[in-house]
Amino acid sequence: MKKYIYIIPVILLLGACKKFLTVEPKLNVDQSQAIVDAGSAGTATNGLFNTLASSGYYGENFPAISYLAGGDIQWTGSQSDASDINKHLTSSTNGYILTAWTTIYETISQANYIIADVPKVTDPLFTTATRNQYLGEAYFIRALAYFDLARGWGGVQLILKPTTTPADNTGIPRSSLADTYAQVLKDLNTAETLVPSAVNRNRVTQKTVWALKARLYLYTQQWALAEQYATQVISDATDYTLVTPYSAFFANNAVATKESVFELAYTVSNTNGHSTWWLPPALGGRREWAPNTGLVALLNNPAIGGNRSALIAQTAPPGNLWYGQLYYRQPLGTDPAYVIRIAELYFIRSEARAEQGNLSGSLADLNAVRARAGVPASTAATLSDLLLALEKEREVEFPFETDRFFNLVRTGRAQTVLSLPDTHLYLFPIPYSQTLVDPELAGANANPGY
Amino acid sequence: MEIFTRKKKLKKYIRPFAILTLFIIPYLVKAQTTTPLINSTLDGLVLDSLTKEPVAGAIAHIKGTTHAVATDVRGRFNFVTGQKFPYTLIITYLGYKTKEIIADGSPITIKLAETLNQLNDVVVVAYGTQTRKSLTGSVSTVKVDDIRDKPQATFEQQLQGQAAGLQISASTGVPGDSMFIRIRGTTSINAGNDPLYVIDGVYVNSSSLQTITTEGQADNPLSDINPADIESISVLKDADATAIYGARAANGVILVTTKRGKRNTAPKVSLNTYFGAAWAPKLWDLVTGPQQAEIINTMYKNSEADAIAAGNATAIAQYAVQPFRALTDNPTASPAPRGLPQDQQTYDRLHDAFRTGFLQNYDGSISGGNDKTTYYIGAGINTQQADLKTNDFRRASFKVNIDQKINDIFTIGTSNSLSQTYRTNARVGDGPQGGVLQSALHTPTYLPEVNADGSPARWAGFDNLDVLLNNTNMHSTSDRLISNFYLEAKIAPDLKFRSSWSIDYNTYNEYQYWDSLTIIGIANHNLGTSSISTNTVWSDEQTLTYSKNWGKHTFGVLVGNSLEGTTTANTTANGTNFPNDSYTLISSAASTTASATEAEYRLSSFFGRVNYNYDEKYYAEFNLRADGSSRFGANNQFGYFPSAGVAWRLKQEDFLKDVAVVNDLKLRGSYGLTGNQNNINDYASRGLWGAGANYQNNPGTLPTQLANPNLKWESTRQADIGVDASLFNSRLNVTADVYDKFTSNLLLNLPLAVSSGFSSILENAGEMSNKGIELNITSTNISAEHFKWTTNFNIATNVNKIVKIPSPIVAAYAAERMVQGLSMYTFFVYKQLYVDPKTGNAVYDDARHDGGTLKPTANDIEADGSALPKYTGGVNNSFTYKNFDLNVSFNYEIGNKVYNNNAYFLEGGGTRDANRAIDTRQLTAWTTPGQITDMPRLTALGDNYTISPTSRNIEDGSFLRLSNANLGYKLPHSLTNKIGVSSIRVYVSGTNLWLLTKYRGPDPEVNVSSSPTVLGYDLGTPPIPRTVQIGANVTF
Repeated sequence: MKKYIYIIPVILLLGACKKFLTVEPKLNVDQSQAIVDAGSAGTATNGLFNTLASSGYYGENFPAISYLAGGDIQWTGSQSDASDINKHLTSSTNGYILTAWTTIYETISQANYIIADVPKVTDPLFTTATRNQYLGEAYFIRALAYFDLARGWGGVQLILKPTTTPADNTGIPRSSLADTYAQVLKDLNTAETLVPSAVNRNRVTQKTVWALKARLYLYTQQWALAEQYATQVISDATDYTLVTPYSAFFANNAVATKESVFELAYTVSNTNGHSTWWLPPALGGRREWAPNTGLVALLNNPAIGGNRSALIAQTAPPGNLWYGQLYYRQPLGTDPAYVIRIAELYFIRSEARAEQGNLSGSLADLNAVRARAGVPASTAATLSDLLLALEKEREVEFPFETDRFFNLVRTGRAQTVLSLPDTHLYLFPIPYSQTLVDPELAGANANPGY
Repeated sequence: MEIFTRKKKLKKYIRPFAILTLFIIPYLVKAQTTTPLINSTLDGLVLDSLTKEPVAGAIAHIKGTTHAVATDVRGRFNFVTGQKFPYTLIITYLGYKTKEIIADGSPITIKLAETLNQLNDVVVVAYGTQTRKSLTGSVSTVKVDDIRDKPQATFEQQLQGQAAGLQISASTGVPGDSMFIRIRGTTSINAGNDPLYVIDGVYVNSSSLQTITTEGQADNPLSDINPADIESISVLKDADATAIYGARAANGVILVTTKRGKRNTAPKVSLNTYFGAAWAPKLWDLVTGPQQAEIINTMYKNSEADAIAAGNATAIAQYAVQPFRALTDNPTASPAPRGLPQDQQTYDRLHDAFRTGFLQNYDGSISGGNDKTTYYIGAGINTQQADLKTNDFRRASFKVNIDQKINDIFTIGTSNSLSQTYRTNARVGDGPQGGVLQSALHTPTYLPEVNADGSPARWAGFDNLDVLLNNTNMHSTSDRLISNFYLEAKIAPDLKFRSSWSIDYNTYNEYQYWDSLTIIGIANHNLGTSSISTNTVWSDEQTLTYSKNWGKHTFGVLVGNSLEGTTTANTTANGTNFPNDSYTLISSAASTTASATEAEYRLSSFFGRVNYNYDEKYYAEFNLRADGSSRFGANNQFGYFPSAGVAWRLKQEDFLKDVAVVNDLKLRGSYGLTGNQNNINDYASRGLWGAGANYQNNPGTLPTQLANPNLKWESTRQADIGVDASLFNSRLNVTADVYDKFTSNLLLNLPLAVSSGFSSILENAGEMSNKGIELNITSTNISAEHFKWTTNFNIATNVNKIVKIPSPIVAAYAAERMVQGLSMYTFFVYKQLYVDPKTGNAVYDDARHDGGTLKPTANDIEADGSALPKYTGGVNNSFTYKNFDLNVSFNYEIGNKVYNNNAYFLEGGGTRDANRAIDTRQLTAWTTPGQITDMPRLTALGDNYTISPTSRNIEDGSFLRLSNANLGYKLPHSLTNKIGVSSIRVYVSGTNLWLLTKYRGPDPEVNVSSSPTVLGYDLGTPPIPRTVQIGANVTF
């Protein structure tokens, strides 16, 4: 029956076909096709904003580790990661810290791809203005990411090139805090020349760059420059102003108000889950984080909180539990993430002026924010009084944003004000898992005390 | 009339192996038709000598002629022949001793005795069958009769304790959920540890398609298969038996053969049914409301005292006022007063969540055949309610197997199983929202179920239990077709070609709807999700087999190739913001989102096998498979998997031939390589960017994966030495194996420094070792006229060790870590050494050796046992007395640890305050100096209850379970014959009837997650139910 034997070679040929074993993905594209023209450069930049706004970074996690450590929040939930930060028991295995660290570096990585690949794109439809905008945004976001790493963890490894193989970007030692801030400034200077000047609160413009520069100079105590850049933004009063009342920047589904210098936007299909942690179950949340008794008292005090009492509300009897309602848009999840508000620039300028001896100018800036909140003007008259007044003002102005803890650490006041057991808590731990995989973060290279 | 029973040394060509025999019959019958002369007519009846049951399908053959017939379903046969009485009949039937009897007149009744000898049992192996005596590899077979009628949704669960080296651990009490299955240990971390399942030649998907979370185990796709249709199950364990499946064989292979009709038999109808009940034999013990109040008050009091001692002003203020105080006592202080402890009520949610579930099963089949065609048609309906409410399982299945001989050369056949499995699901396991068991177990007992205004009360992030029990709307439907078509051509007497085409097609359709009373519903103004997944596995295989005898030399060759593809796709639609609870479909939602995914991978393979034996004394076998996978990059696309096995039947040697006590003795040895690439992403070797990272409704992209063009197969080399002995007239059969499995090139998601922008990359980087011993003893203890007692005892031990891993990996549940030098599923905890009787404080092991002056840090976390058992196995006894039969099966695991994560939450020393219920064991906490206890003093300060995980929650999970008992009675044949039924058996049976364990939770056989890196994690998992059922098996 030899005639059947012919079946065999036919089948063998079929099986050997190399093409049979080549299956292209449909959900993804190969990395070589990632940034090749104007369109893909644009989508990569959108992806960068997406990661910046993701729950691991400004969407939820990074503000959370700041305010959970900031002394005004009580933790009522089950998650020990949040609890530990809240109780100043943060350990190097803390998941929130790891998530923030990871997402910030992912943001940097994406910026690095854009910075490396967008200049190489040849596409007649790719205008210089658009190309510059994408590049400028990438430089700015990288600057913001390194700034956040610096204020959270101190000097860090500066990764400035994209990773294409596992061997890339390894063996890089941690930079000093000064060098990290220097890199932030360098990127901001580059961004400043590339980004557009027209107002856009959800993307990066010159004003956005200036605002972050003002904050950077405040952290590096270059008071004159801090004042200068704060002024450059504040002086554009038609576009940036303290909205009245306080709640106008967030209540009634407001987005991108004149209060915001940089605000990350969310849509129904790209949601912000922040409200889940704050709202009580009756409103669809878990209320695992809530304002503590002290903060409730401050916000409800007409002479201190003023109309900032709109930040909190109480559940129905008999519970009568206070909850935060800065993030409240359930189920849409469209609460913005507030990165830089104009109120902060007033505080920056106030502090910078006070440090330079301009006490009246300082007081005026402080009282501008107080007036908007409907509280009596401060009468602080000395440098120390003004600094103390600013410290207290930030507590009620930014209780649910990324602010108070970092400023208390910056001014060296955190241990006193927050009753911290030890100053090693001024820096977050280098995540334990990272100390295991990266020798440059292990042992003495890790943050001490953890 | 019996003349004698001769122990016949069966030659290969007449061994009673069904298919071969059936092949021969038509020729025999055909030969007979040329003999028209009729000299005698004989009516015969063949019965089982012990049970007196008719034996259907036995072959009666007149000695010295080619004339043979088969018995019908009532055991009857009839000869109309040219032979004159007396003549000698030879009766053969698989599993029975061949009998010769002189026929001298009609009618005649012949009693066949079951053979105890397993040597000639046919064992299904890769691409064929072999007799047990000729096996060179390690293969366990499970007699389906021994496990029938177990009210379990999945055939795998019925295999528990049935085969040495096959570890099967149920993870939850929810019917049809996935299980933990290992053949000879855990070989992989990422690439899957499930064996390869082949059902009638179809490669069957065993990975769940479920996408809508039930927060714990996933649905098990193998529960789509009706166990009643299964004829036999082979478990292939060593390299010799498995290597021909190459790249997917490292975790062993389970071959399932379904029932087929027998040639020349009258239609046999078989009906089975049972009804039963299932309930949880043990639940948790929670404290009462007043007890919880006292515990929390004590915690406040102690914490305040500790705070004062430490001078911690914040804590002093925080714990100054105890919450359970009179409502008028300091009403404005925080926390607000909740009333005195003795005024608290106790609300039992736990028992509300459980029920006695109803089980029922109906299945029936008809099978038979003529000389050219055989058929098996089966159908079944099975419904099961879990012990935990709202989890229901229903399966309807339909089965058709047909074989058709076209002519002397060609035979075609097909196997088809069509089923629909419907489940109503509930969230069990982890996660507070929507979790039925979490809500029932973890909500503090003093908190009422309804608010003062009558609305459902929700506490501590948990849903209201009544709302969940009445409003949970989660269900899934799995439609499954498992189908094979083959063509066989007998090209020459010794050469056979076979082409086999298979498909496993599964559509999995899920829906969930959370209404306005559930937390998820509130958060989303109701939420609906529809998810439709499809999975298609197709394969096309051709094989050519050749076998030849030259005197004492027997030689066989098999070559083949195989093409295979798997496509998975999913479409998910999500709706939020519904008008009200009456609108439950996504079209009614104000906001909708949707997504679709699709992935495919392909395998192209060539394989071959050569086997040889000399005089049935020396055996050798060699296998090779080459597999190419689209999952791997060009550099390493093909993997080669050879194996060799040898066997020596000492019984055939002169020195043993006359030793009566030894009926057979065989030594086996094998060595080979197998591969693994399951569970990894279809595009794992590629550098990829993905989309969906949108901003302001503009599409966004981002890098998702680093490329690794060198990615390749995990490869497992295995050496096996085994012995098979049959002693004392084959009444004692012993199989023992020693094996050494070593897996290299483990596919690991190696953690990268996240500063690179990537958390991990898949690389071949680790090594894992499994060494073990298996022992299987089957003994016929008593075999008398009316009474038979057989025992099967099996035990296996496996030592697992992660030999090489670049850096430790923390499992999906963080108390388990994978660390070089330790076994998989090792728990890492703060080890509590003791509770200081003077202070009541927990003293933890200072693994860091810093003198215990600091708070225990992450570095003090140390290994404390593994969730892998040291020994697993089963003891199965079966008794037959006249018409009664009794099966009693035990299974056991010894030496495994369980992380009692429920206890972590429920024994928080009161520090969880109003957020969690409290277990009664908390009442043993230290209170007075001198007290010896392992439950430290209640305080929120210090380390007593503030660090986790601790060894307090690591418990011994060893158990011995009476997994099944089945007592049956066969109605007398004389009675059933009158009503035209050949057999009626009624039975009462039960599962999980008794459990011996030290574990404090309801059941140590638990696992919260189907993640391959998690085992023995008890969190919100419903316990395995106890069931009792009555049933009947009828054939006619």
